[in-house]
Amino acid sequence: MNRPHRINLVLPQEPNAELVAAQAVDQVGLPLGFSRDTLSEVKLAVVEACLNAMEYGAGVVEVELIGRPGVPARLEVSVVDNGPGFAPGKVPEPHLVEKLQAGRKRGWGLALIRRLMDEVEIESRPGRTRVRMVRESGGN
Amino acid sequence: MDTFELKTAQADGRLAVLEVAGYINNEAGEAIAAEARRLIEGGHRILLLDLSATRIINSIGISLLLEVLEHLLEVEGNLAFCGLSPSIAKTFQIMGLAQYARILPDRAAALEALSAKP
Repeated sequence: MNRPHRINLVLPQEPNAELVAAQAVDQVGLPLGFSRDTLSEVKLAVVEACLNAMEYGAGVVEVELIGRPGVPARLEVSVVDNGPGFAPGKVPEPHLVEKLQAGRKRGWGLALIRRLMDEVEIESRPGRTRVRMVRESGGN
Repeated sequence: MDTFELKTAQADGRLAVLEVAGYINNEAGEAIAAEARRLIEGGHRILLLDLSATRIINSIGISLLLEVLEHLLEVEGNLAFCGLSPSIAKTFQIMGLAQYARILPDRAAALEALSAKP
C-alpha cells in the first residue's frame, strides 16, 4: 500500500460526535503500522481539535485524515470549522497551579494538541479555522 | 468501550475508590465530580480513581477532575489515580498533575500505598 489513505468526515453538532473522528484515526493509522498507544495520543489530540471546532465554530465541522505510507509513516489530520476564528498566539499556556486557583479550569485543549502531535499548524480568519496536525510513526 | 459507567467500589474510613469506565467527557466529568463531592462530604479524604477501563478523556472531563482535586486540597485530602492508559498518563504528565495527585500503576499497588501510614 503506497497510496495515501484518505477519510473525509463531516461532524454534526451533536454530543460525542468527536468520537467518530477518533475512531477514524484507528482506521487510517493501524494499517500504516502505528502502535495503539501512539494512535491513542493522536485520538486525544483529534478529540480536542474537534471539541474546539464544535464549541467555537459555526455549524458542522469537517475532518480530513490522511495516512501516508513510508518510513516514517505519517498521519495527517485537519479539522476545519466556519466560526469567527481566533489568534492562536494569544491563547495562554495553561498552568496547573493557576488553574487550581481559578474558577474556570478549562483551556487545556490547544496545549495538549501541541504536545501530543509532532507538527501543528493553525490557520484562522473570520469564517474559517483549520487546525492541521501531523504525527509520524515513532515520532514525538 | 466508550459507554461511561461510574461505580463507588469501596468506601471505608478515609479512603474511597471510584471505578470509572468509558469516555470521560463533560457529562461523565460532572458525574464523577458529583460523586466525589458526596464522598468528601461524607468524610472521605482520600479518593482513588481507578481508570483501568477508561481509554479516552477530554479536556472538559479533565477540568472537572481538577475541581475534585481542588475540593480535596481544601479539606487537606488527597487524590490518586491508578490504571492509567499510556496516553492518559502522558496527558496527566503534560499537565503536571503528578505534583498534586498520586499516580499509581494498579489498584493493588494503590491500595497498599494509600493505606500505608505516612
